[in-house]
Amino acid sequence: MKKQNMSIFGTGGRSVAVALLAVLAVAACDAIDPTQVNNPTTTDDDLAEATNPTEALLPGLRAQFARMINAYVVAAEVISDNYSIHGTGIIVDMDEPHEVTSDLVNSTGTSASGVYWNVQELRALADFVINDIAPNDPGAPPALVAEAHYYRGMAFLTMGEVFSNVPHEEDGMPQPSETALTRAISDLQAGTGFGPQANAALARAHRLLGDAGSAASAANAVLGASADFLFAPSYDEQFLGNTPVAFLVLRALQEMQPLPRLDFLDPKYTERDSPIPIAKAEEMHLILAEAALASGNVGEARSHLASAVTVAKSRGMVSFDDIDERRNADLSLRPRSEEILIRSDADSPYRAGLVLNRPSDGLEIPYISGTSLSADSIAGLGGENEVWHALWLARQEILLLEGRRLADLGIKLPMMLREIDQNDNIAEGDPGTLPIVPGYIPQNPRYAMDIYTPLDLYDGVDPGAPLVKSEVTMHVDMNKVLVANNASPFN
Amino acid sequence: MQLSRLASSVAGSLLALLALAAATASPALAQTGVVQGQVVDAASMRPLSNVQILVAGTGIGQLTNSSGRYVLLNVPAGEHTVQATLIGYDEATQTVTVTAGQTATADIQMSSTAISLNEIVVTGVGAETTRRALGTSVEVLAAEDFELAPVQSVDQLLQGRVAGATVNATSAQPGTGSLINFRGVSSVFGAQTPVIYVDGVRVDNDQSTAAGTGGEQSSALADILVSDIERIEVTKGGAASTLFGSDAATGVIQIFTKKGTPGAPRITARVERGIEMPELKYIFDMGVIFPERVESGEITERFMRDLYFKNGQTQNYYVGVSGGTADVTYSVSGRLEDLTGTQPRDASTNYNIRGGLQASLSEDFTLEFSGNYVRHNFERLYNGAAIADPLTTFEVGDALFFSGASTLLEALDIFLLPQIDESVNRFIFSAGARWNIMDDLSFRMTLGTDNRNNQQRTYQPIGFTPGEPTGNLRRYDRNFTSVSLDGGLTYAWESTGGTVGSSTTVGVQGFREEESVIWGNGRTFALPGTFNFGSAAVITAAEGNVEVFNGGFYLDEQVSLWDKLYLGGGFRIDAGSSFGDNIDTELYPKATGSYILSEDVGLPLVDELKVRAAYGQTGKFPGAFLKDRTFSATSFRGESAPRFSNPGNEDLRPEKTSTIEGGIDAALWNNRVGLDLTLYEARTTDALFDVPRQPVTGQGIQQENVGEILNRGVEVALNLQLLNTQSLAWSIGGTFNYNDNEVTDMGGVPEFSAEGSQKRVTGCWTQSDPNDESTCRGGPVGAWYLTMPVDTNGDGLPDGSERALTGTFPVPDKSGSANTTISIGNDLTISALADWAGGHDVFDYGSVWATFNGIYRRERIRCGMEEGAAEGCAYAFPTQYRADGTVRGKYSQSAARTGFLYDGDYFKLREVSLRYLLPEDWAGTVGAGRATVYANGRNLWIWSRNQMIDGELNGLSGGGLRLGSESSITLSPNRTFRFGVEVVF
Repeated sequence: MKKQNMSIFGTGGRSVAVALLAVLAVAACDAIDPTQVNNPTTTDDDLAEATNPTEALLPGLRAQFARMINAYVVAAEVISDNYSIHGTGIIVDMDEPHEVTSDLVNSTGTSASGVYWNVQELRALADFVINDIAPNDPGAPPALVAEAHYYRGMAFLTMGEVFSNVPHEEDGMPQPSETALTRAISDLQAGTGFGPQANAALARAHRLLGDAGSAASAANAVLGASADFLFAPSYDEQFLGNTPVAFLVLRALQEMQPLPRLDFLDPKYTERDSPIPIAKAEEMHLILAEAALASGNVGEARSHLASAVTVAKSRGMVSFDDIDERRNADLSLRPRSEEILIRSDADSPYRAGLVLNRPSDGLEIPYISGTSLSADSIAGLGGENEVWHALWLARQEILLLEGRRLADLGIKLPMMLREIDQNDNIAEGDPGTLPIVPGYIPQNPRYAMDIYTPLDLYDGVDPGAPLVKSEVTMHVDMNKVLVANNASPFN
Repeated sequence: MQLSRLASSVAGSLLALLALAAATASPALAQTGVVQGQVVDAASMRPLSNVQILVAGTGIGQLTNSSGRYVLLNVPAGEHTVQATLIGYDEATQTVTVTAGQTATADIQMSSTAISLNEIVVTGVGAETTRRALGTSVEVLAAEDFELAPVQSVDQLLQGRVAGATVNATSAQPGTGSLINFRGVSSVFGAQTPVIYVDGVRVDNDQSTAAGTGGEQSSALADILVSDIERIEVTKGGAASTLFGSDAATGVIQIFTKKGTPGAPRITARVERGIEMPELKYIFDMGVIFPERVESGEITERFMRDLYFKNGQTQNYYVGVSGGTADVTYSVSGRLEDLTGTQPRDASTNYNIRGGLQASLSEDFTLEFSGNYVRHNFERLYNGAAIADPLTTFEVGDALFFSGASTLLEALDIFLLPQIDESVNRFIFSAGARWNIMDDLSFRMTLGTDNRNNQQRTYQPIGFTPGEPTGNLRRYDRNFTSVSLDGGLTYAWESTGGTVGSSTTVGVQGFREEESVIWGNGRTFALPGTFNFGSAAVITAAEGNVEVFNGGFYLDEQVSLWDKLYLGGGFRIDAGSSFGDNIDTELYPKATGSYILSEDVGLPLVDELKVRAAYGQTGKFPGAFLKDRTFSATSFRGESAPRFSNPGNEDLRPEKTSTIEGGIDAALWNNRVGLDLTLYEARTTDALFDVPRQPVTGQGIQQENVGEILNRGVEVALNLQLLNTQSLAWSIGGTFNYNDNEVTDMGGVPEFSAEGSQKRVTGCWTQSDPNDESTCRGGPVGAWYLTMPVDTNGDGLPDGSERALTGTFPVPDKSGSANTTISIGNDLTISALADWAGGHDVFDYGSVWATFNGIYRRERIRCGMEEGAAEGCAYAFPTQYRADGTVRGKYSQSAARTGFLYDGDYFKLREVSLRYLLPEDWAGTVGAGRATVYANGRNLWIWSRNQMIDGELNGLSGGGLRLGSESSITLSPNRTFRFGVEVVF
C-alpha cells in the first residue's frame, strides 16, 4: 500500500523532477567536464608552440653534457688505477676492469649516472636539436647551432674514447670507435664557432685516431688562442652538482680513495659546483710532447712536457678542510701522513711529498692541475723511456679526475646491456658487448693496479693511531707498463 | 588539551543529533500495544543476542539482549510480521496480533545456515542480488566478525579473514599499510592493492603517500575507517569486478558504513586500553653485533632491549548513537585512538568522526548520506634502508661509524635526534539516492568524494652527524581528491508464479582523481630549532601533479529460472584519460551462471549445494600521462634545462585480465559444515610492461601493452560447527589458497627488473630443453635474481660469481588462515584467528649491510661466535676459492647475495579475543541495556622457517610495483593486548 501522502513528489512532480535532473546533469557535464586532464609536462604539442625552440633546448644540452662528464669521470677514475672503491656507494666490481660488464657499466653507484646512457642521451638530444629543431627555427643563432655541434662532437668523442663499438642510431649496427671519432671530428669542426674548446677536443680526437699531425695542429691552435686556455664550465650547487664531490668530499658511503701516490692531488673538486676541466692548455702541451716523442724528437717532447708542468703549476690551489680519515672498507687506515714515502713499484725510488696529513684543515689542493713533476725533474730525465714515463705520469697527475686515464690504459668499456637487449642487430659477444682490457693490465691479485704494502702502517685503527711504518710500495707502476707496451696511440 | 577539546566537540555533536533524533521520533500514539519475545537457535535452543528485530512496515525495531529477549513498545494495534535477522542464520518471521494496551508475545526460532545463500550482495552486479544468483565468488565480512577486533586499519582487518587474500604488513611503524593481493600478481606495474570503495566512493588506496623513510612508505590504507562498518564486500577480480571496468583487475573492496536501524536512540560507548610490546624475535642486540664493547663492559648485550625498546600504550575511546524512525535512520560516532609505540619517536593519534543518515522522503524515494572525517597524526623513525635508522645502524654494527661517536650510548643519543612527523586530514563524503520509479523500475545513484591531505616533515637537526650535520628539513605535502559517480536504472520483472525473473540494469560509473604533491627541502640552518625550510641556506622545491578520469557505461542482465537456475551477462564500455589517442573505448564482457543443485538432486549429507561458473574481463588502466611524448626540465646554472622524458605511445590501452572461474557453495551435515570452493584461471593480456627504448635514442622506458601473465589457483573456505548446545557452541574454520603465477609472454621484451634489481620478470624461468627456448616456462612476476657463487673452472670449488634466477619468488603462493570461536552460554565468547603464508623467499638486506662491518649475522646466530665456529656449521657464508684451489676468503656480499635469501614461510597467531556479556542487572546499574567487557591480543606468536627476518614484512618496498619480502632491519608488528568495556544505552 503506497503512502502517497508522505511523498514529496506528486505524479506531476515526478515528471518535473526527472526533467530537472536531466537538465542539471547536462548543465553539470557542460560546466565541469570530468574527463579533461592536464599533463603538467611539456608535450610535443607544447613544444611546437615554443617561440625560440633552439635557444630553449640548448640549456638541456649543457646540462646533459655536464651529466655525461660526471658519469664518465667517475667511471673512468675508479675503473682505472687512479681511484679505488672502499665503501658501498659504488659497486666494488667497478674497480676491476676485467669484471666490468655491460650490466654493471651503467651504474656508478647512482643508477642514473651511467656513462653509456648519458653519452647516448647527449648525442640523441643534440641530434634532435640539430636535425629536427634548428632547421625549422629561423631564429636559431648560428653560435647556438655551433654549440650544439660541439656537444654532439663531445658525445662522439667520448664514445670513441671509452667504448670499442657502439651503435649511432636506432637499430644501428655497432660502429667502431674510429667511426665515432671521425664523426666527432666532423661535428667539432662545425662547432669551432663555440670557442677554442672545439679545437682542444679535435686535438684529443686526432690523438686517439693516432694522427699526430692533425692533433698537433689542433693543439697549437688552442695554445695560439690562449697560452693558458681553460674550458671548465661550472656545475650547479643545488640541482646538478659535481658528482666526484659526492664521492670524494661528502663521502656519505666512503666510496672512493685515491691511489696513495696521487694523494696530494685529492680531492681536486671541493664544492658541489666545482667545474671539471673539459679542455686545458696543459693537455695540448702533453699531446704535443707525445707527438714529438713518437716521432723521436725527445728534446722537443721534454720542452712541451716542461711547458705542461709550468702551466699546471701556475694554476691556483684551493684550501680545503678534509675530515676524511682515509680508511679502507675494513676500517684500517690508508696512507695519510706526510712523513710517508712512496715508491711506485718495488724497483723505483721512494718519493716524499705525495701524501698529505689527513684529516686536516687548510690543506692546499690543486683544483685545475697539479703534478709531482717539476722543471728540475724533467731536466734530469734520462733517455727516451724516462721521458715517456714522465709523460704518462704527467697525464695521470695533471689530468686526474678528468677521465683520460681509462683510455691511456687502453681499456674500453662494453656498451650498456639494455642496448644489447633492445637492438636486434646486436647480440651478446658482438663487438662492443665485452670490455677490452689490454693484456698488460694485471689481474692477479684482484685490484692489482690499486694495491700497496704494507697494510699495517698504523698501530691500530683508532683515529689517533700512530704511524709505525712510513715506507709504502705500490704493487705496480702502470706508467712503466704503458711505456713498456708502447701504449701511445701515436706509436 | 587536544583530547578534551575533541571529546567535548564529539559530545556536542552527539547531543545535537540526539535532539534531532528525539524530535523526529514520533510520540507514542494511542491504540498501541507491546510485542515481546525471545529469539533462540532452533537446534540448540540457545538464546541469540544481537538479533535485529523489526516490525515490518513500522520502523519499530530493536536488538535482542544477552538472553535473546526483546521488548517493542508502541506497536500499533493489528496484525504484524516480526522479522528477525542475524548473520549466519536464515531470516525468520513470526506473525503477531497486537491488541491496544496488551502485550503480545512472538518467540522466534532461527536456523543457522552454513552458507548464506539469501544474503544480499551489491558489488559487481547491477542491482541488489542474492548470493544464490551469483556465479562468482564474493566474500562478505559482517560487522559481527570484526567489530571489536584489535585492528587499527582496514588492511589489518582483512588479514586472515578473506579466502584468497594475502595481506602482509610493512612494519611495526604507524602510517604504513600492508600489501594486499588477491589471486596473485596480475600486473607488473603499480601496486596490486585492490581498489577500495567506501559507501560507493572510490577512495585513495595509494601505498606511497609521502617521502620514503628508509624503504618505508606512508599508506592511505592506514587511515581508512574501521569503526561503524556494517559490512565489507570483497571481489577478487573476474566477472565479479567486470562492471568496474578498467579499474578492477586487482579486485574491489566495498565498505558500507552503518546508517542506523529504526528504534529508539541507542548510545554505544567504548573505552579500551592496551599495551604494545615489541616483537624482538628477529632482533639480536649488541652481544652479537658489538661483542667487544660488551666484553669491555661499556654496554650490556641487552643494550637495545634495555635502552631503546619499550612497551607502548594504546587508548581507544568510542561513542556512537544510532536509531531512527521508519523514515529516517541515523548512526553517528566519534572515536579517538592514541598509541605510543615500542620504539622512541613512534606514536600515533587518530581522531575520527563520522555519520550516516538514511531518509525515506517517500515510500519510493530514499536518500543516503555518509560523512567520515579522519585526522591521523603520527611520528616514526627512519627504517632499515636508511643510515639514519637507529635500530638498523646498531643491529648492523654501523652506529659508531656513521655517528662519529666514541661510545654506543652517545651514538644512540645522536641517532634519536631526527624527527619524522606526519599528519593526515581525510574527509570522505557520499550521497546516494534510490528511487522506485515504478513497481518494476528503479533508479539509484551515488556521488561522493574522498579528500585526503597529508603533510610530512622530516627533520634532521644541526649536529645529526649520520645525515646532514648542518641541518636538513624536508617537507612533503600531498593533496588527493577523487570524485566518484555511479548511477543505474534497473528493470526487474518476474513471471506470474515466479518461474522466470529478469533484472536488467543499465548504468554509468566513473571517477576522477587528482593528486598534487609538493616537496620542499631546506639544508643548512644557522640556529637550532628551525622548523621552517624557508630559513635554510639552500632551499629546493618541486611538485608533481596527476589527473585521471576513467568511466564507462554498463549493462547487466540477470535471469532467474524456477528460483534455482541463474544466468547472467553484461558488459562495460570504458573510456579513460590515460588511453592512447588511438584508443577510444574498451569493452569488458562477462557471463555468469549458478544452479542450486540441491533443489533438484538429493545428496547424502548435503543441505544446500550451489554450483557456479563465470567468465569476465577486468582491466587496469595505464599510468596517467604515459601516452604522451614529453620533455621534462631541471634547473641548471639558473636556466631551465629540458631533456627527453616519456617517449609516448598512442596505442596505450588498459591491460585486460580475463578470468574463468567455477566453484561450489555447500552446506553439509545439517548445516554444520559450510564449504566455499573456487577454482580460477586469470589471464592478463596486453599486460603493460615498461619497455625500454634503445639507449641510442636517448629515450627512457615506455609503457606498452606487450605482455601476458597467467594466474591459476584455488580458494577454499571451510566452516565447521563442532558443537551447538544451549550451553556451549564451538565452531572452527579456515581458508586456504594456492596461486600459480607465470609470465606467459614477454612480448619480445628481454627480462627486466621488477621492484629493484633483485627481482626479475622473465619469460624463461625453467627450460625443459636447454637448447630450445620454446620450451621455456615463464617465471612468477618478480622471481628472485641474485648473484651466486659459481665454479668456473670445473674443480668443484666456487671461484666466481654470476647473477641468476634462484628459482624462488617473493610473493607467497600459498596462504591461509584458521579461526575458532567458542561461546559458553550466551555471555562468554572466545575466538582466535591465525594466518600463514608460504612458498616465498625473503631477502635479508640487514645482514648484507652487516657484512660491510665484517659481521656475518646468520653465522653468529646459528653457529656462535667462537673462533672457527662457522667451520662445519650448518650455515656458513660461502668461501671463495682461487683458480688454483687455494682459499681466497669469504665471498663479498655483492657476489653471493643468495646467502641472504631465506625461506619466508610463516605462521602467526594473529588475534585472540575474549568477550563477556555482563549480566543485565549489572549493566542496569549504570542505566545501560547491555555491557560487554572484552580483552584481546594481536600478533601474539610467530613461527617462521628462518630465524633472521619476518617472512611477512616488506620493509624495503619501493613505490610502484610492490612485491615485498625484502627487508633490512625492520621491527615486526607489535604484540598488542587490549582490554575494553562497551556499554550500550
